[in-house]
Amino acid sequence: MENVIELNNVTKSFKGFELKDLSISVKKGFVTGFIGGNGVGKSTTIKLIMNLLRPDSGEVSLFGMNYREHEKEIKQRIGFVFDNNILYENITLSEMKRIIKPAYKNWDDTIFQHYVNLFELPLKKQIKTFSKGMLMKASLTFALSHHAELIIMDEPTSGLDPIFRRELLDILHDIMQDGEKTIFFSTHITTDLDRIADYITFIHNGQHIFTKEHYKIEEDYAIVKGETNLLDRDTEREFIGIRRSNYGFEALTMNRQRTQNIFGNTVILEKPTLEDIMLYTKKGNDNYVESYS
Amino acid sequence: MLNLIRKDIVLQKNTLLILLPLLFLDSFLDGSRIYVGILFSIAIVMQSFATDEKPSVHYLMNSLPYTRKEIVSSKYAGACVFSFLVMLTILIGNLVVTKELVPWEQLLFIAGVVAVFISLAFPFSYLFKSQYLMIASIVLFVLYMIVVSKFIPDLNDRIREAVRTLLSLDHSLLYGGAVLSVILLYIFSWMLSVRIYSRKVF
Repeated sequence: MENVIELNNVTKSFKGFELKDLSISVKKGFVTGFIGGNGVGKSTTIKLIMNLLRPDSGEVSLFGMNYREHEKEIKQRIGFVFDNNILYENITLSEMKRIIKPAYKNWDDTIFQHYVNLFELPLKKQIKTFSKGMLMKASLTFALSHHAELIIMDEPTSGLDPIFRRELLDILHDIMQDGEKTIFFSTHITTDLDRIADYITFIHNGQHIFTKEHYKIEEDYAIVKGETNLLDRDTEREFIGIRRSNYGFEALTMNRQRTQNIFGNTVILEKPTLEDIMLYTKKGNDNYVESYS
Repeated sequence: MLNLIRKDIVLQKNTLLILLPLLFLDSFLDGSRIYVGILFSIAIVMQSFATDEKPSVHYLMNSLPYTRKEIVSSKYAGACVFSFLVMLTILIGNLVVTKELVPWEQLLFIAGVVAVFISLAFPFSYLFKSQYLMIASIVLFVLYMIVVSKFIPDLNDRIREAVRTLLSLDHSLLYGGAVLSVILLYIFSWMLSVRIYSRKVF
């Protein structure tokens, strides 16, 4: 299967933060959700993919091309949405269009008009008067108006009301229908991913934890509930993270079948949500750090 | 590239619509064309530069299919366009009021001073921020005042004298040399800014 985005052993360090040996690939024709907590490197990764940052080492390639030689060709094929407003504030939407349109060879005025009508965006009002939702709609309109093959979005649903969040997901679902487009987006709101994501990429503390097909996650991972006396040094190793309470323990395993074989009927296995996975991975990592520091 | 220059003109539309007619009106007064021309050119060029300095604009421009080299180059080319517009306005204003052409040496002098200013200001602003330019110029101004009051009391007169001599010279070699060095400085500054900007993290 063709990869649209490939990061190979990418390292980027800042003061107090580092992306370590990150290798991620995003498959063509699918929606990949990009999850992880605050400050674990999601935005940095997206900036590396957009060439807003350059890696200290490692390779970033899009559509099989690198930025060093094909920067403009790559960017022609990307539509982008950032979580904060990047449009000029003191001009109107139609003036903004006059600025962005000439940058793209495949700009399509009918699509632009279609989304402007759909989102009821005012063309003659200054962009600084737009609400957060309108700004997001405007950015999305620009991202979709030049037949981009890859749509990259950084937290597009944060700060949006639930109704527009659903509308947005429906629109994204619609544009995926021809099988030619690819969407890569980061989010905190993991329930959004249940609706549209085919793949989930999860990073934690600058490291790639997994990229899996969405349905596979429920097959592999499980929340395990049982009595605390089942836990000892050996059985604890089976889990990514453990939460103890007076009534027993709750833990996350990444090998449902194995856990089932070990504990049999003494524990209850439940389907985890993405939030469970994020939470226990963080817990597990923190414990690891604690016990070794 | 042309798109980026056109973008700057679209963004500075209001500034131009206010400043250029004002400049035209100024032709009716008996002021110094040279100082006014330099001031207006620099004001418009730096206004245009400052508009694009927000991190959000860097994100936008660098996510659009432009290279960092093009983004910087467009600012240098755009500065020439803005200065040209200012000088054109002065030229037309004078033609209307005095029915005479502005001496070309004066226009050349304006262009030269503006080019030298930009050559220094752009790399500085790409490295830091144009808002610190104000602080830097205040520091320079204070130093200048100290020099004037303590060491060379007639510095102002000397500069004025030097400018006058320079303009009254009809030594074509001297002109040629000055023009060439300003152009070289401008090109050097442009290359320096490209280097600074391509390493910038925003």
